[in-house]
Amino acid sequence: MIKRHISLVVAATALSGTMAISALAQTEIEIWVGGEPGTANVYDDLAAAYMAANPDVQINVTKVGSDLFNPVLVPSLSGGEGPDVFMYGTGPGQPAAIINGGLVADLTPYYRQYGWDAMIPESIENTTSSDGRLWAVGNEVENTAMFYNRAIFDELGLDVPETWADFEATVEALIEAGYDTPIGLGAADRWPISHWQSMLFGRFASPAGVEDVMFGDGAWTEAAFVDASALLQQMTEEGYFGPNPVANGYAEIMDSFWAGDIPMTFTGPWIVPGAVQSLGDGIADYGTFQVPPMADDQAIHPTEDIGSGFYVNANSEHLDVSADILDFFFFNNDSRLMLLNNGTIPIGSLTELLPDSTLPAITADLRAQIDSHRPNGTIHAFLDTVTPASMTNVTYDGLQALMLGVMTPEQFVEAIQAEWEAAKADGAILMPGGVADN
Amino acid sequence: MAASSRRWSPGRRKRQAWLTAGLFLFPAIALYLVFAFIPTLEVFEYSLNRWDGISPDREWVGLGNYDRLFGDRIFWEAFFNTVEWTAIIVVINVGLGVVLAAILARKIKGRIFFQTCMFIPVIQAPITTAIIWRWMYQPNGAINEGLNAIGLGFLATPWLGDLTTALPALAIAHSWSTLGLSIVIFLAGLQAVDDELYDAAKIDGATPVQAFWYITLPALRPVTAVVFVLTATAAFKAFDLIWGTTQGGPIRATEILATYMYKRGVLENNYGYGSAVAVALLVIVTLAMAVYLYMQARRDD
Repeated sequence: MIKRHISLVVAATALSGTMAISALAQTEIEIWVGGEPGTANVYDDLAAAYMAANPDVQINVTKVGSDLFNPVLVPSLSGGEGPDVFMYGTGPGQPAAIINGGLVADLTPYYRQYGWDAMIPESIENTTSSDGRLWAVGNEVENTAMFYNRAIFDELGLDVPETWADFEATVEALIEAGYDTPIGLGAADRWPISHWQSMLFGRFASPAGVEDVMFGDGAWTEAAFVDASALLQQMTEEGYFGPNPVANGYAEIMDSFWAGDIPMTFTGPWIVPGAVQSLGDGIADYGTFQVPPMADDQAIHPTEDIGSGFYVNANSEHLDVSADILDFFFFNNDSRLMLLNNGTIPIGSLTELLPDSTLPAITADLRAQIDSHRPNGTIHAFLDTVTPASMTNVTYDGLQALMLGVMTPEQFVEAIQAEWEAAKADGAILMPGGVADN
Repeated sequence: MAASSRRWSPGRRKRQAWLTAGLFLFPAIALYLVFAFIPTLEVFEYSLNRWDGISPDREWVGLGNYDRLFGDRIFWEAFFNTVEWTAIIVVINVGLGVVLAAILARKIKGRIFFQTCMFIPVIQAPITTAIIWRWMYQPNGAINEGLNAIGLGFLATPWLGDLTTALPALAIAHSWSTLGLSIVIFLAGLQAVDDELYDAAKIDGATPVQAFWYITLPALRPVTAVVFVLTATAAFKAFDLIWGTTQGGPIRATEILATYMYKRGVLENNYGYGSAVAVALLVIVTLAMAVYLYMQARRDD
C-alpha cells in the first residue's frame, strides 16, 4: 500500500514537473537584422527588454551583412525556413519578389489590431504596403545630409553655405586650402553615389516629379533627371569629390572624414551611433547641413526614407508573437526612446519622445533641419533601395560611368529608363501602396 | 583442392577486387554525386526555366535563356574579362612560379623562411586578401605611397578606379594569394630532377640559366600541366576577391562571369538566367581545360 502511495506521489510529482516544464517552454523567435554595427546593436537591447516582459519568449537576434541578405535569406525563405522576422528593402521594387512569391506574412490584421495606423505616416505606409495590404513595418527614418568638420570650417573662416554660389565658393576655398577631396564620396562601393543621385533627382524633379515616375506615367528621361545627372558629372569633373572618387571605398572615406582629412561627406545619421562610440564627445566637432538649392526655382526638399522594413516570414509558426514583437519594438514608447537614444529615428511623431531623449546633438540638429524643410515635401534618400535590383545594377554602373566621364547624362537616364520599363513589363514593380480601409 | 581453386579462380578474384575497390570508392562517389553532380544537373535544369528562385512555379523556356545569353552584351564583356583575367593569372603563376621554385630549390640562406612567406597568402581567406589589396590599391594606399617614397610617384594611379588598371591589378592580387601553391607544386616536381644532371651540365660549362632552360623546364612539364589546370580553374571561378574589392566595377571593368552570374541570379532574383551563365562558365572551363590537356598530351607523345 505504502509502495503504491509512493508510486502515486512520484507519478504526480513527475506530472506536475512536466506541466511546469511545458509552462516554461519557450517560444523561440529568430530575428535577422542588418545595418551598421552601432545601429544594429540596439535590437539586442530591444530583444532583452521584450524577453524581460515576456519570459516565455526567447528572441535570437542575428546580425547579417547586407551583402548576405539576398543570397542567404531568399533561399532559406523559399525553402520554408529562415528567420521569423527579418529586415528587407521596401518600396515598389525591392520586395516585389518575396511578396509576390508569398514568402512574407500579411501584417494588415495586426495593423488594425494594434492600431499601427495611428503612428505610421502615410509616406512610409505607401512604401511598406501594396494591393491594400501592409507587408512590413518601417524600422527607422533615415535622411541624408552633408556632414562637415566644424574645426576645418572654423579654421578657414567658412560658414555653412546657404546658396549654391556659397557652396561652390566653400568647395573652392577648401581646395585652395589643400583639401584635394572637399567632399568625400566612396564611389568604388557604388551605393554612396546613389545618395547623391537620389538627392539631385528629387531636387531637380521635385517630390511630385519623382513620384510620377515611380507610380505614374513619368519617365526617368525627363529633362529634370538629365540636368541632375549633368550636375553630378560636372561636380566630379570640377574635383568636388577629389581626384579619384571611383577608386575610393566608403569605409576609407569615412575613416578620412573622421580623421579630419576630408572636410565634408554626404551621408546619413546611421554613422552617428558608431561615431559616438568611437569619438565620444568628439562628435560635437561635426555638424550637418542641407545642400543648398542648385537653381533659383528649387527648394530644399529633405531626403527621407525608411532604412528598411521588418517583415514576418509567412511560414513562421509564431506569427502572432512575431507581430507582437514588432509592436513592442516600434510602437511602444519605451522602445522608441531606446531607438532614439541610440541615434535611430523611429517612424512616427517624436513629439512625446524628444524631451526625454538623449539623442546625439548632431542627429537632433539634423532632425530639426528636416522638420523645418519638410513643408517643401520630402524626396527619396535611397532610390537604389526602392527600385528593382536589376535597375539598381544598371544605375550603379551608369553612375560610375557618369563620374568617369564615359557616359553622357542622356545615355545614363536612357539606360535606367530602359531597365525600368523592362522591370515594369516583367511585373517586378508593385502597385502603389496604402492599406485598404477594410 | 577443387573447392580451393574454385574459390580463387581468376574471375572470382577480379570480382573481389572490383567489390573491394567499389567499397572504398563508394563514399567518395556518393558524396560527389550528392554535393557536386546532382546540384550541377539541377543548375542545368534551372537554366532551362524562367524562375525567380522564390515562387514554386517555374516557367519552362527551353534554351531561351541561352539564346538571350548569346545576345547579352554584358555577358560577352564578362566573358572577355574572364579570359584576360585568367590569362594574366596563369602567366604569373606558371611563369613566376617556376622561376621562384627553381630559386627556392637551391640551398639558399633563409629558404624555409621565404617558402613560408610565399605560402602564407594561400591559407588566407579570399575576403581577407580582398581587404588587404583594397587598402593597398587605394589612391593613398601602400602601393602609391611606396611608389612616391622611391621617386616613382609618376607611376601612382587610382589602381581600382581606372578602367584600364583595375582588372590587371586584381589579377595580380589573385596571383599573390595563389602563387604559393604553384611554387609548392613546382618544388615537389623539382625533387624528382636528378641532381647529377645539373652536375653534368656544370661540368659541360652550362650557365645556371642554361641549366634552368634545358634541364629544369623540360623536367617540370608534367607538373606545369597540373599547375596550369589548377591555376586556370581557380581563376575562372574566382569571385570573393573581386566582390570584396570592386564588385565588378568600375562600371564593368572587373566584371567576370562569376560576378555576373551572382548579380543576375542572386541579387536580381533571376535564377534561371543566372544558372545559364553558370552552365556557360562550366562549359567554357571544361572546354579550355580539355583543349589544353589534349595539346599537352600530344606534345608529350
